[in-house]
Amino acid sequence: MLEVNALRKVFGGLVAVDTISFTVPENSILGLIGVNGSGKTTIMNCINGIYDATEGAINFRGTNLVGKKPYEIARLGIGRTFQVPRLFRRLTLTENLMVPVLEDSRSNAELTEKANALLAEVDLYRIRDNHAEELSGGQQKLVELLRVMMLNPDLILLDEPFAGVHPNLCKVFLDQILKLKDAGKSFILVSHDLTSVYSLSEHLLVLNQGKKIAEGNAADIQHNPDVIEAFLGR
Amino acid sequence: MSSNRLVWTRTSIWLGFLALLALGLGLLPAYGFSLAFWFYLLLWITLASGLNIMAGFTGYLPFGYVAFYGIGAYAAAVTVKMHGLPIWAGFIAAALAGVVLSLLFARTMVLRGIYFSIVSLALAVICRLLIAAMPEDVAGGSYGIALGFSNPDGAYYAMLALMLATLLTVTWLAQSRLGMALRAIRDDPDTAETVGINIGRVRLKAWVLSAVIASMTGAIEAWYTSIVDTETAFNLLVSTKAVIFAVAGGLGTVIGPVVGTVVMLIVDDLIWQHFPVLNVFLLGLVIVLLMMFLPSGIVGSLIRAKPFLRRILF
Ligand SMILES: Nc1ncnc2c1ncn2[C@@H]1O[C@H](COP(=O)(O)OP(=O)(O)O)[C@@H](O)[C@H]1O
Ligand SMILES: [Mg+2]
Repeated sequence: MLEVNALRKVFGGLVAVDTISFTVPENSILGLIGVNGSGKTTIMNCINGIYDATEGAINFRGTNLVGKKPYEIARLGIGRTFQVPRLFRRLTLTENLMVPVLEDSRSNAELTEKANALLAEVDLYRIRDNHAEELSGGQQKLVELLRVMMLNPDLILLDEPFAGVHPNLCKVFLDQILKLKDAGKSFILVSHDLTSVYSLSEHLLVLNQGKKIAEGNAADIQHNPDVIEAFLGR
Repeated sequence: MSSNRLVWTRTSIWLGFLALLALGLGLLPAYGFSLAFWFYLLLWITLASGLNIMAGFTGYLPFGYVAFYGIGAYAAAVTVKMHGLPIWAGFIAAALAGVVLSLLFARTMVLRGIYFSIVSLALAVICRLLIAAMPEDVAGGSYGIALGFSNPDGAYYAMLALMLATLLTVTWLAQSRLGMALRAIRDDPDTAETVGINIGRVRLKAWVLSAVIASMTGAIEAWYTSIVDTETAFNLLVSTKAVIFAVAGGLGTVIGPVVGTVVMLIVDDLIWQHFPVLNVFLLGLVIVLLMMFLPSGIVGSLIRAKPFLRRILF
């Protein structure tokens, strides 16, 4: 559903993403791993339009995404969460979930009901009227995923969903991912927690300093000497 | 208390208060009150609330807000005096002028923070110079335009109507989807855009709405004083005062600009009466103290310090 072709992103003299290509098939999970600064977040920012790609093509179901604005890409069906959660701090949880669909034709009642149902699923319905800034970091990440779900995207980009999240919440988050996968969604998953990426992803991409150094399934990657060196070496 | 009931309760209280206020203010002319004080109270509440739509709900602080006020005053005066049309045609011209000018200036919203404020200020100065430079038979030149008739009572009622319309609009905005989009944008514009908000379009709506409120206010003031000139109509003090009143009350709240205007006008008046020599200095001091101790404004700080006040203040 998503084809990234020879993507390059340069900041000044720094090549953050160096000619990377990959595809995300329908209903799949692609894992993206690499040490800090290897370009994972930058790839996500290029896909969802926060950055303009310096070079390369990004196609989503036949639509070229390069040059499109973030809100257009969101409405095409690509959602994303952030490494550091970015909720609207002074909006309530329900309001946070409503923001993506404000320009929707559905009624307020219908949308509120949907938002509250999502909150109930992760046990946050009780505090739906609290401001988002009152939540823990892990809860914020969870609400971010729910906010993404309001537009019912087919591809979801998750940037470090488990980093700094309490294990109990990780479990809730993981269940949500699996449930959505069963419902036909696709994911690009960036994580430091290699165990969870290995177990979730059908296919993995290993980055180092903006370059792709390995690609394959978990078994291939785990035993690849280049990968071992990139993670443990030096 | 569920959020729906909370909103319903405080909105009802507020609307009830507005109805009583409208009644009281509407009766003033009949009882022979001197209208000057009241007219300008309504005018400042309107301008502070109109500016709040732009500044409080989008995060842009337009120090050149007076450009819209001035263009409205001139549009009305030119329509009435130069083209001999009735005053209501002047109001329509003022509204249109506000829309056109705000669309022309909309591009400045690509700038952020202080850069936006400075450019906004510069544009207001340019508007004044352009109008002053126009031939006398087009826009009155540097002498301005005398309307040749006046109707203070009519202008007072028009101002009252505009103030109520503005406050009702802001009240609606606070609970509408547009208002929620604006609050999200104010919290974090980049995130709002990545989750699916067309931030350019949402901001433009607030911008135009806010500009039209100022241009209508300018037109009504022109009717009230029956004279416009570039010095007064484009006086930067107009924007400055509107900003101070809105900020003092609490940007982004509905009631804040009303409270801020009333409090600051009273403070200003007291200072003038008791310390005529030091008035500007003391007013500046009050503003500094206010910002130091109540950085979110009177209403904004009250809501933050005592969350239960959200039941009545918003
Ligand atoms: N906006 C930016 N401006 C300049 N450099 C950037 C910017 N964003 C990311 N980088 C740089 O690009 C490289 C890749 O960063 P990033 O994609 O965040 O890595 P990762 O998510 O894999 O940790 C880093 O060296 C980072 O400093
Ligand atoms: Mg990152």
